[in-house]
Amino acid sequence: MLRALIIGGGAMARTHAEIYRRLPAAAVVGVVDPDARGRRLAADLQVSYSESLSGVDWNAVDVAHVCVPTPWHRELVVEIAKQRKHILCEKPIARTLADAEAMIAACEQSDVRLMIGHCVRYFPEYVRAKELVDAGRIGRVAVARLFRGGSFPPSDTWRDWYANRNWSGGTSVDLMVHDFDFLRWVLGPVARVYAKSTYGESNRLELTLATLRFQSGAIAHVTGSWAHAGFGTRFELAGNLGLLEHDSFKAGTVFHEAAALPAREITQGVQVPGTHVHKSPYQLEIEDFLDAIVQDRPFSVTAHDALEALRIGLAVEQSALTGMPVDL
Amino acid sequence: MTRIGILSTAHMHAHSYLSAIETLQDVSVTGVYDEDTGRGRQFCAAHGVPFRGDMEALLDESDAVLIAATNADHRRCVERAAARGVAILCEKPIATSVADAAAMVQAAESAGAPFYMALPVRFVRAAAELRKFVRAGKIGRILAMTGTNHGYMPGGWFIDRAASGGGAVMDHTSHVADLMRWIVGSDVVEVYAEIAERVHNRGIDDCGILTLGFANGVFATLDPSWSRLKTYPTWGDVTLEVVGTTGVLALDAFAPRVHVYAEAEDGQATHRYDYYGDDMDLWMVDEFVRSVRSGQRSDTLATGLDGLRALEVTMAAYESAERGRPVAITPWQP
Repeated sequence: MLRALIIGGGAMARTHAEIYRRLPAAAVVGVVDPDARGRRLAADLQVSYSESLSGVDWNAVDVAHVCVPTPWHRELVVEIAKQRKHILCEKPIARTLADAEAMIAACEQSDVRLMIGHCVRYFPEYVRAKELVDAGRIGRVAVARLFRGGSFPPSDTWRDWYANRNWSGGTSVDLMVHDFDFLRWVLGPVARVYAKSTYGESNRLELTLATLRFQSGAIAHVTGSWAHAGFGTRFELAGNLGLLEHDSFKAGTVFHEAAALPAREITQGVQVPGTHVHKSPYQLEIEDFLDAIVQDRPFSVTAHDALEALRIGLAVEQSALTGMPVDL
Repeated sequence: MTRIGILSTAHMHAHSYLSAIETLQDVSVTGVYDEDTGRGRQFCAAHGVPFRGDMEALLDESDAVLIAATNADHRRCVERAAARGVAILCEKPIATSVADAAAMVQAAESAGAPFYMALPVRFVRAAAELRKFVRAGKIGRILAMTGTNHGYMPGGWFIDRAASGGGAVMDHTSHVADLMRWIVGSDVVEVYAEIAERVHNRGIDDCGILTLGFANGVFATLDPSWSRLKTYPTWGDVTLEVVGTTGVLALDAFAPRVHVYAEAEDGQATHRYDYYGDDMDLWMVDEFVRSVRSGQRSDTLATGLDGLRALEVTMAAYESAERGRPVAITPWQP
């Protein structure tokens, strides 16, 4: 039985923890969080609770899930690496490149596996798009358009941390990083970015429009929104031989009872997209994490991938702040 | 009876403009001039209208003209029509250089000849409703817009730089740039563009993403790509999303469609969108004819100056892509 420690008490901590209910050979053994949310999560899961890592019995833990606000990823990962436990850390990898590099170095030094929760690589529509492009169905990709958007994260998250761009990175770093990772996966390295954002707006909304130019010559337009009402994602990839498009707002389901499900699962805190398939992308992600450790094979999405996605996100943020294109 | 002439059939919209005139009351086509005699005669035979090999003769017998020439030929047509005091509705883009556009606007102004642009998206009822919504403050202060005018690669003179002035960016910036200006009531002051020739390999730009900064602080992106191939169910689209402080509005001008799943002549399975929405060309020509007939300026049609402003955005985009940085627009002043 693989034993997992959950660090955090918010929406993502709960999402990760609940996946373990479906895994026959793994279980959550404890929750670490200084906040009352964490205590409640531990109680709900009927597992041990600790306010900090110092209260953890590491002999009883095999893997750790870091599900805390971004700026705190580094110190937790570095500490857990010292305990020689493998780590699945939520995205974005960190708030700064220096933090990300330190996390990667610490894990390498301790010979510990580090995976970052770039779950979009497990969303079937994105997986299928990648497969179709690789199979040559649309030829050489010329222009991609991606949308990821919903409303501004509610204020009842821990210290309303999303609303503090110094912490969350805003839409460029927290939200669009999913699409930057996906595009890098499909289209290769990014050469430069140019972006505009509504930073500074006080109405609890944020919208970023980013243009990416790839080393290959391809172009992508990425919209990251915390200014829309209901959460959804869209993509369109246009190539010289065809085009593929997807719209989560229109991606229906064949299951009858799904008609009664809400379009999004609102857990306490951040909206987590509703799923349309048997195994949620989060389950696929966690199963892949655990399997890769057990089989001693590489992760499908590496910490290095996460670092590069962060680099793009930070460049987009910088461009939006300076009004100038940013080379990578 | 209002008498309308058509100058050139180089642009395929000549067909729909002619159909529009035939639908309207109290207006007739005096004739069609075409610099390409063979093409012109074929067009006239198909539509049963007189061919005119001499533009001056056609201008003599017309109250107004619809110009469907190549982009580079717009200037010649507009200057000749203006000189005769004939009212003008000209295809977009206005011209292939801002200098040409300025000469055209000034020529029409000096002659007192009404000069309008064929930018029909203003005549999609939904676009006008969206504009009213925005102007009434229903979504608060406007922050940003995202627009697309995707299309297929039209071939022919469109990909001959001497006649077109450019590819997709030249062809498909005007509609959305004009729509955006019309909706927010502000001009574009800065453009950044990524442009590529990557879809079609025809030696001219066929895709890109423009980022526009407006004088009033609104920012927008615009996608003019010829990214629809013959396998896509329709020629393209015109979409616009407007994000305000209290809401979002989205326009999909060609959304009214029936999906048709049927075999083509060669037995191949096809899926096509069959559009049944507003005939925007008809409403636009109707407004033009009304304006000509009444002698009153139209306040809904895009003017020659609007066309010039759209071209300034286009040219700034090309310059930005060349320089690799945002380009400030120095607006031409009459």
